[in-house]
Amino acid sequence: MTNYGDLVGGDRVHASLYADESVFADELDRIFTRGWVFVGHDSEVAEAGQWVTRRIGREPVIMTRDRDGSVHVLANRCSHRGTALCWEHRGRATSFQCNYHAWTFGLDGSLRAVPYPAGFEKDRVSLGLDRPAQVDSYRGFVFANLDGSAGPLAAHLGRGGVDMIDRLCDLSPTGTIHLAPNWIGHQVHSNWKMWPESDNDGYHLNWVHASMVSSAPDTYYQETVLGGETGNQSLAVDWGDGHVELDFRPSYRRELAWLGVTRERVASYCDALVAARGAEAANRSLWDGPPHGLIFPNLFLGELNLAIIEPTSASTMVHWHTAVQLDGVDEAFNRRILRQSEAAMGPAAFIVPDDAATAERMQLAVDGVQPGWASAADPRGWIDMSRGLGRERTEPDGRKAALISDETTNRGFWRQYRTVMSR
Amino acid sequence: MSAAVSEAERRELEAFLFLEARLADTSRYAEWEALVTDDMSYWVPAGPVQPGADPAAGLSYINDNRARLATRIRQLQTGKRHAQTPVSRLARSLSNIEVLAATDGEYTLCATQVVYEVATQASARLQLWPGRVTYRLRRAEDGSLRMAAKTVELVTAGEPLPNLAFLL
Repeated sequence: MTNYGDLVGGDRVHASLYADESVFADELDRIFTRGWVFVGHDSEVAEAGQWVTRRIGREPVIMTRDRDGSVHVLANRCSHRGTALCWEHRGRATSFQCNYHAWTFGLDGSLRAVPYPAGFEKDRVSLGLDRPAQVDSYRGFVFANLDGSAGPLAAHLGRGGVDMIDRLCDLSPTGTIHLAPNWIGHQVHSNWKMWPESDNDGYHLNWVHASMVSSAPDTYYQETVLGGETGNQSLAVDWGDGHVELDFRPSYRRELAWLGVTRERVASYCDALVAARGAEAANRSLWDGPPHGLIFPNLFLGELNLAIIEPTSASTMVHWHTAVQLDGVDEAFNRRILRQSEAAMGPAAFIVPDDAATAERMQLAVDGVQPGWASAADPRGWIDMSRGLGRERTEPDGRKAALISDETTNRGFWRQYRTVMSR
Repeated sequence: MSAAVSEAERRELEAFLFLEARLADTSRYAEWEALVTDDMSYWVPAGPVQPGADPAAGLSYINDNRARLATRIRQLQTGKRHAQTPVSRLARSLSNIEVLAATDGEYTLCATQVVYEVATQASARLQLWPGRVTYRLRRAEDGSLRMAAKTVELVTAGEPLPNLAFLL
């Protein structure tokens, strides 16, 4: 039994946590089986019968919409001989039929038909598809908890998860969003936990992204993340529960900086937002823009992108992303978001490939670190995350915050990790 | 369907594609960029493409207009693009070259391409990038060929892919 309290300190973590296969097995159990995990957005299955495939940890699932409008999350595994029922990323069905022996399941996962039924004595009700014990959603964001022990979703999301999802959805004049037509998978030879870290690290921009900063100098990262140790007002925030954020709001110097346009360029959008929510709330959204943060453990809200962090082994993962599309705006507006997303995210973009190269270099360096080294007489393999610990402050609203380049976000992720891995 | 061009013209078109391939393989960014037109588009779709599909309607791996392509090359030339520092070791094989259309100094060609990559930046794994390429070439005022469009439909498009930070 690994004692995770011995491997995660308040200001350091042991590198074996990125490499050890038994740690990975524990994570699949304690984080991805016993906890809430983001699955998808219900707009992806807007109509009855639409389905998408995902993984909850390593468990393959289908998210689909039933005829009564409810969203189901079902194991993508026939209850007869274990064959995958869906083998593409998305599709449309009236039922799910296994190609092996033609067992047929309803959109709710119940077993509807079995060929040659005379040889079959079991109660069909007991042979529906496995499903997560809990499925719940907030503003269309669908989460699941496989084993049912995670408590209510609202308690998991806490203030941080709700606040970030609200700020994103409230950018839409209708208060609702949908997603771009496709997700893009970015395969990285790194442990999955390097992505909750680097997606929310405000310290690395000047180095990892130096080439982007110098070749595309008009991005809003100039004023929100760069500028020296104390050169901007952005905050590294720990909301608690593992949810963390790089809060750019204090350093935006104009409205719509996050979209790279002036109000005149998107006047109809701004007018619609004001009409829907009143001038004060709308203008605040237009300044604040979308969040940049993590909902523990696997959902990254990257401004107008969503990313799912999918663990595939101790040393490999997939960073899936898509773009957020606002309901109630014109097509040109949403296409602007698509083009921004292509610049930032995915294997060929200007930003994330440099994070991927860095994560792979980190994996090369940690692959051989043994858990036992942590507490040896001559300890090895500890890596530091103490930056800014002494200047972290608690805001009136309870958030912990420090300078954007401080490792408050990493510490917030790892504190939750230690808590859930020790249960 | 293929277009009738003279043997000499076919050889000239193929020589252009081989030059473009070699400059991409050897990360000779400035010389590669000198081959493209001022309205070059460079598209690597993120899934199978239906005929007539609009590249702008969804997310692509790469969907560069000329300005964004210039940014891409500028970034590679900074020497700080970690995903290409050092550059990948690359060798590509072009085959099945067909001239699909030839009118008024503009040509549409297609080919099959396999790029072999060793990603020397981190993992040093051998990665394969098989795909079908469509080119639109155009004659400049001096009669020389330029590339106005390149679309690479990867066989692997839609599946998770590793870093794709070199010129495909």
